[in-house]
Amino acid sequence: MVKNSGIRRAIRLWAPLFILPAFVCFVISFVIPFGQGIYLSFCEFNIPKDAAWSGMDNYTAAFADPSFGRAMLNTFLFAVVSVIVINVPAFFIAYFLSGKFKGVNLFRTAFFVPNLIGGVVLGYIWSMIFDGILRYFGTYLIASPVYGFWGLVILVAWQQIGYMMIIYIAGFQSVPTDMLEAADIDGATRSQTLFRVILPNMISSISVCVFLSLTNGFKLFDQNLSLTGGAPIKTLENGMQVNTTELLALNIYNTYGINRHWHGTAQAKAVIFFLIVGGVSLLQQYLTNRERKIKPAKHTDAKEGKQK
Amino acid sequence: MKRSTDPRTQSGGRDIRTIVFAALSLLWVIPIFTALINSFKTNDGIVRGIFSLPVGDDFAAGENYVSALTFGNYPFLKSFGYSVLISTVSTALIIICCSMAAWYIVRVNSVFSKVFYYLCLFSLAVPFQMLMFTLSSTAYRLGLDTPFTIPIVYLGYGAGMSIFMFTGFVRGLPYEIEEAAVIDGCGPVRTFFGVVFPMMSPIAISVGILQLMWIWNDYLLPYLVLDITKYRTIPIHVQYLKGSYGSVDLGASLAVIIMSLLPIIIVYAFCQKYIVKGIAAGAVKG
Amino acid sequence: MLKRKLLFAAAAAAVLLSWTGCAGESGNGYVYYLNFKPEADEAWQEIAEEYTKLTGVEVDVVTAASGSYADTLSSQMNKNHAPTLFVCGGVQALDNWHDYCLDLRDSPLTEHLEEDAPCLYGEDGSLCAVGYCYEAYGLIVNKSLLEKSGHSLEEIHDFASLKAAAEDIHSRSAELGFDAFTSAGLDSSSSWRFSGHLAALPLFYEFRENAATTQPAEISGSFLDLYKNVWDMYINNSSVAGGELSAATGGMAEEEFGSGRAVFFQNGSWEYTALTAEDKFAMSPDELTMIPIYCGAEGEDNAGLCCGTENYWAVNSRAEQRNIDATMDFLEWVVTSESGKKMMADSFGVTPFKDHLPSENVFLNDAERMKSEGKYNIDWSFSFTPNTESWRAGVVSALMEYSEGSGSWENVSTAFVDGWKYQYKLEHRILD
Repeated sequence: MVKNSGIRRAIRLWAPLFILPAFVCFVISFVIPFGQGIYLSFCEFNIPKDAAWSGMDNYTAAFADPSFGRAMLNTFLFAVVSVIVINVPAFFIAYFLSGKFKGVNLFRTAFFVPNLIGGVVLGYIWSMIFDGILRYFGTYLIASPVYGFWGLVILVAWQQIGYMMIIYIAGFQSVPTDMLEAADIDGATRSQTLFRVILPNMISSISVCVFLSLTNGFKLFDQNLSLTGGAPIKTLENGMQVNTTELLALNIYNTYGINRHWHGTAQAKAVIFFLIVGGVSLLQQYLTNRERKIKPAKHTDAKEGKQK
Repeated sequence: MKRSTDPRTQSGGRDIRTIVFAALSLLWVIPIFTALINSFKTNDGIVRGIFSLPVGDDFAAGENYVSALTFGNYPFLKSFGYSVLISTVSTALIIICCSMAAWYIVRVNSVFSKVFYYLCLFSLAVPFQMLMFTLSSTAYRLGLDTPFTIPIVYLGYGAGMSIFMFTGFVRGLPYEIEEAAVIDGCGPVRTFFGVVFPMMSPIAISVGILQLMWIWNDYLLPYLVLDITKYRTIPIHVQYLKGSYGSVDLGASLAVIIMSLLPIIIVYAFCQKYIVKGIAAGAVKG
Repeated sequence: MLKRKLLFAAAAAAVLLSWTGCAGESGNGYVYYLNFKPEADEAWQEIAEEYTKLTGVEVDVVTAASGSYADTLSSQMNKNHAPTLFVCGGVQALDNWHDYCLDLRDSPLTEHLEEDAPCLYGEDGSLCAVGYCYEAYGLIVNKSLLEKSGHSLEEIHDFASLKAAAEDIHSRSAELGFDAFTSAGLDSSSSWRFSGHLAALPLFYEFRENAATTQPAEISGSFLDLYKNVWDMYINNSSVAGGELSAATGGMAEEEFGSGRAVFFQNGSWEYTALTAEDKFAMSPDELTMIPIYCGAEGEDNAGLCCGTENYWAVNSRAEQRNIDATMDFLEWVVTSESGKKMMADSFGVTPFKDHLPSENVFLNDAERMKSEGKYNIDWSFSFTPNTESWRAGVVSALMEYSEGSGSWENVSTAFVDGWKYQYKLEHRILD
């Protein structure tokens, strides 16, 4: 390996130019708000300026809040269901669209286009469409938590299938040609080739897509806010009320919105939320590393997602 | 002769696949077309049913677009201008600063660059809800609540993802070319902009488009950070179309939505090749 | 090395530049009003401009997006450039912003207030916010349609007579070409009329019986029958029913009334402009009037309209003194100058300031007339609702299921009573 000390010394001299702008801004808009956020989760505050220490109070309140538990359950269910509903169709659409036939580029574009639209706008458009359809059945989107849940699944699948499709197509295209030729020569059927030759080569694409859609599912906010906003609200047997289609991110936002007594609790919920999302990311890291050890030749080096 | 089982070279069934996917693609874009069609209908027409065509009394011609431009006390074109300004400046800043930082991180193996890199990785796992209540007060104190300064917030918040993508790419670049440039007497700045950055252009374009899409559509961050007494972006503008007591000008809202989609779709049409490559390259490194 | 230093300097300068981004305002103070009513935004902008031309004092008026006033106020208050004047929506908002409300007891503004002006007081007796307008709601009646149907205003004086007239009109709606009530839509643009305004009736009678003057932790729902009376009457005597109600918007109901397809329309004095404006429905003020929402309460022959306000001005006590002074001057000018008074009358109708201009608003004049006749006012008891948005959403969900047939009235009453108890706990952060 070439020792690149010359360059290294030269760049180092110019460190302020190369790294400082990004680093300073990163500190301003990530490190400081993050640290302050942790601190405020132990405080009572209306606005950050007048925070007063309140210990674990906010965390106790967060766990005692039935809407938080409901939102957590909703989020887990939603994340798992959306992973399946996104990835299975995306895989098969990619399988066909990695071929060469008339119009294939146009079709890929059509599937990808929903990714260009912002989540709030998507929710707006889809609530209009769902209500338009359900009207023929004499009902409406927020009549039942079931409609709201599956509506959100359909919306997210519509949006993300195109994105995952792109990753799967790249995966299909990197399956070694000689293996496929060998399969042909051996007289394998199409499904045999798919499951015995192609699938094992797609493991890394699949794991990337699964984790990407899983974390997207956990972090979903905009679409949830504008599609149902958490409605319908139900009064439980014990007199408590919960928003039945609320996911965690929206629950945090709404908790903050109750009034100033809940600002600290909302921040505490955000910290818990962060720990969950961080845990999922760590799990991904762990599995990816393990896979890398097993298959050093084909590994996943990067994951990618849109920030929402 | 037996057909190939490689999906990439299968030649049979060509027409059927085209027909099936043509139908499926059409189905896929129906929601967008529904929005487009309804933006040409009167509010009554929209209420009567969203799946009817804008004909007869329901046809509003360009009325919704006119009212979308003039609605309220804040002109749409102003929001549009601020959106364009914020997204382009932020994206440019992100591409330049993060590519430089990524190069530094990969080439200078110091504790600082390691710490920064892992912080970036870490930031990817942090949901925005964790920061949203505190970011706006920090940003305000530093005067970052204008369209001219908010790109600094975007640079900071977008740095995690962008630096992560850039470093992945820079690791695959050969040292030899840079070494040769330095031996030829180029300083790091000239080496970077003359040699390294051009090699990074595919990933730079991908990062750029991803960030552009995100910033253009972002609602919560500018809503919380910007001084809304003076500045609004398009997503904020859409929110303001609602009148008192939740009554909504449906037609005008849809017109605003359609107009806000156009620029990003045009950008996509020109850069489609890069974005597809970028997503694939970022996701699966063969 | 020099280059390196220069770069440091450049980077530092960039950061500093952003620090000093906030420019200072001029020496004679500055007014920043965070306005609550989107429909009054234009009038406020104009009056602010006029005031600036007159005095040179800068007045910024910003209007929060509908439904987001609380959020906007929170985020704006956090800034150094915070609103100097804001709107307190009632006791709940006061609880949030009490520490930011300047005591207005000895301010020049109070001298211009009428004695019975609605005000919000702190526990220490300080005058936290002053109401700047009255509003009234009830049943808006199209008098000419009522006559056409063979009924008259005189015969309607309680729930039974109202219901009889409505049922008669509804049964002949095909022949008459119009219906009794406008659609009781439960879309979010319309549902506040029922989960908020109509809900005030059972609350008002309950609070009156218990002599409750502050927000109760629990309610009994003992007058919910009245609520059911009216709701059943609405949905059984209009053109929209069942599942269709969910998508029926406020705009639809307004359209039905404005274009002469319904006789009764539950709404408030703020509708006056839309109904009479030339470029909207162009109805004649002569054919419009507002009557009480009769619901079957005892002695309701003597009921008046529901008169009250959600609009209270509060001055930010944490603003700089010169900005507070500028704000007080501005307010005083708004309620005393000719153009200010005209703006107030045009936008808000009857206002609680001495020598306010008379209003053309028929509905507000109806309210005044009934007051002077000695009828009792039905207070805006919904202002005590805990955690308003969520409580209302619960009631709307239950109402919707009931109207559609998939839920019972029992659920509505649970959402009303149990929902109140729960939302009260949430609002006051009472943890079990």
